[in-house]
Amino acid sequence: MKTTKPFISWRTITESRLFFPLLALAIILAFDLIFVPGFFNFSTMDGHLYGSIIDVLRNGSSIMLLAIGMTLVIATGGVDLSVGAVMAIAASVAALMMNPYVLATELPPNLAKLVFDPHFTYSPLWLVIIVTLLISTICGLWNGLLVAYGRIQAMVATLILMIAGRGIAQLITNGIRIQIFYDPYAFIGNGWIILPFPLYIVTVVFLAAWIITRRTAIGLFIESVGINFRSSFFSGIDEKKIKLLAYAFCGFCAGVAGLIASSNIKTSDANNIGLTLELDAILAVVIGGTLMSGGRFSLLASVIGALVIQAMTTSILSIGVPAFAIQAIKGVFVIFVIVLYSDQVRGFIRRITAPKGVTL
Amino acid sequence: MMSRVGSLVSKYRRFIPLSATVLLFIVAYIYGLFAFPSMRDPQVFLNMFRNYPFLLISAVGMTFVILTGGIDLSVSGVVALTTVASAALLRGGMHPALVIVLMLLMGIALGATMGSFIAFMKVQPFIATLAGMWFARGMCFFISDDAIAINNWWWKVLGQTKFLIPGLSDPAAKTGDFISPLVIVSLTVVLIAIYVSQFTRFGRTVYAVGGNEQSARLMGLPVESTKVIVYTISGFCSALAGLALSIAVASGHGLYAQMFELDVIASVVMGGTLLSGGTGYMFGTLFGVLVNVLIQTLIQFQGSLSSWWTKIVIGVLTLIFIGVQSQLAARRARLPGEAGAAGTEKSFWARRWKLITAVGGVVVALVAVIFIVRGLQGPDGGGAAAGCTDPAFRQELAAQLMQEPGAVLTYEKNGGPNCTGELFVIYSDGRIVGDNGTAKIEKQITPEEVQALLSAIDDLGWYTDEFYDTWHARCGQCFGYYITVAYDGQVKTVRGVDGGTDAPTRYWDVVTLIYAVIPKFN
Repeated sequence: MKTTKPFISWRTITESRLFFPLLALAIILAFDLIFVPGFFNFSTMDGHLYGSIIDVLRNGSSIMLLAIGMTLVIATGGVDLSVGAVMAIAASVAALMMNPYVLATELPPNLAKLVFDPHFTYSPLWLVIIVTLLISTICGLWNGLLVAYGRIQAMVATLILMIAGRGIAQLITNGIRIQIFYDPYAFIGNGWIILPFPLYIVTVVFLAAWIITRRTAIGLFIESVGINFRSSFFSGIDEKKIKLLAYAFCGFCAGVAGLIASSNIKTSDANNIGLTLELDAILAVVIGGTLMSGGRFSLLASVIGALVIQAMTTSILSIGVPAFAIQAIKGVFVIFVIVLYSDQVRGFIRRITAPKGVTL
Repeated sequence: MMSRVGSLVSKYRRFIPLSATVLLFIVAYIYGLFAFPSMRDPQVFLNMFRNYPFLLISAVGMTFVILTGGIDLSVSGVVALTTVASAALLRGGMHPALVIVLMLLMGIALGATMGSFIAFMKVQPFIATLAGMWFARGMCFFISDDAIAINNWWWKVLGQTKFLIPGLSDPAAKTGDFISPLVIVSLTVVLIAIYVSQFTRFGRTVYAVGGNEQSARLMGLPVESTKVIVYTISGFCSALAGLALSIAVASGHGLYAQMFELDVIASVVMGGTLLSGGTGYMFGTLFGVLVNVLIQTLIQFQGSLSSWWTKIVIGVLTLIFIGVQSQLAARRARLPGEAGAAGTEKSFWARRWKLITAVGGVVVALVAVIFIVRGLQGPDGGGAAAGCTDPAFRQELAAQLMQEPGAVLTYEKNGGPNCTGELFVIYSDGRIVGDNGTAKIEKQITPEEVQALLSAIDDLGWYTDEFYDTWHARCGQCFGYYITVAYDGQVKTVRGVDGGTDAPTRYWDVVTLIYAVIPKFN
């Protein structure tokens, strides 16, 4: 018997990886539409766009970047808890390279003037960015080495850098919060070219990750390592190098996020930059439907997951809940998402959306 | 001979991490005794138990969880929630005994909920407890945004009672070396945990579940309920630890115990418990905690190292322990890609040269990077702030100034990012003179304002036991305070340093009061 098969059925929609994240985003935006007046207003100033939605995109750029890197790591069956600490290290390195004189207590007057000069930088900006990203990639490589070659559980291996990372960041800046006065650096986090500049960075990183994973075989390799690293090894995939790559890329993304975060607050705050952001990134990946046990992943779904978190945070803040209390709501939300993705609920949805006569 | 040693080692391999921890503790302590003569005071040893009872208590709960192969990240959240909730309930006038029972029940309920999610819905422990941590920490701020002080007789008794150690103290004069009730509570918890984990059916089930969940299930062991119980135990321990913390600091706040779970996990790992579950000893956890505390103590006694070195040292130690354990575990279960058949056994170093060179390379690289980056500071900036890690107070000058007629208060604040050393004197006629070593500054306020300030400080309990001297080496940017107040014929000096929880919370109220009236150097 021949059945007609619609091009897009209800089934393909609900089975899509993007369905749940988009649904969650839609629910939150619908909530804003009703309870937060002016959430969807846009205004232009000097040709740049402003508005609550733009704020969500701009403030969410760090989480989006971390989520992109974290997706690859989680897809290999691991997790990277150290991204927050790597952000702090990146911020410290960048701040110190631009303005090492801040650390001095007594400076000759000609140098003391330079400290607060918005046009002064010790190292050129391109070198600052390259070295910072290099160091954060090395941090990622370190995690990857421990996980792939040291055979240490990912959570434990990255926990080490999570504990020690903030100490290292403070070691770099001698325990001092370095303020950043250099103007061009501030553009990274605060600049606007019609849209906020961080968004362009996110787009570039996303496209790079997408091309690497979807236009080459690396994406497939990552998924196969995540599903079963032993059989991947026996089928000729160098699973260790794949893992190493994933962690290194995650470190790179954390470095970019660290640059944006430190440029945003114009300080290298080793204690607070990226604090608990690793949890947000993992949550974003989970909302995006990538299983914590590894395997199939979707970068776009993770990025939407990050937006869900940021939109939720922004809208809860705008209805007047104290900032710290948001965590409680986030906690409940995580449990809700987990239940939503559990086998029981998935099976239920599959059953009610399955065509008649098909048993699953 | 060598083969006998070898067979001994392989027979007792499971004790290697444990004995390494004990050895490390003993060696480090002996080093401390020689390097810092002031550490020879037995009270310093007792303080290692006295200062962090909450760390020991939560580490016990965490050990149970890790033995089953899980992890509990909610510890810090539950601890913070317990401090805030108990402070709020006590402020509301509830009976302290009831508060304690309620808090423990809350911990049990939170732990059981997370455990059920993990056991029955197959949620990863790490995600479920993370959600629990967020929930608990967020709830703190629904209760109160600010710190709530606890002023309760029960809490005071539990926090300030001194049990003098026979032989090391003078019972008649009530002085000498002592421990606090919390030390006894925490050690009791450890003893009970050792008994439960080693000598009961439940303890053996915990080890079995952690060793291999599948075979434990096939053996007919109650895997799910065991998991729920270990998370419940951990929740209970976290709540108990929270009570201990609230007793120690006499207040509750949602920002207490941040990143505390990392300290707890690091202690458990250093105690020789394998994070993949099934291997480890409660006794090791005791020493893991002691090593953790000893590192902090050594760094404090060393004085010139900043407190963030603690993080780095603990991170490195955790890495070493995990590394050793993963090597031991790898010997039991070979993984693909590593050394092949038994006949081609190469030596330990030859088999692991890749790993060793890789890890060594990264360490060298990181160290090099740090030094290169530090080198960028150039001759002007290099280590300029290093001289400020722990400047001394001008105590003689302050004492001398207090002798001057009319001097009622001296206030010295030194250290900080800019390495200041500001000493102010307030006279009863309203004159305030300050100097920072190079410049002098003066301000005139009314005598009534001085009297108001002094009586406000007195009302906060300056001359009571609630204000006590706390001192430890501080971090590079922390401030130290040296305050002497003369009022109503009483004179008392109390030192304090920020960046820790050990100074009495009201001390900062006094600092704020004084800061409001003194002139500022620009």
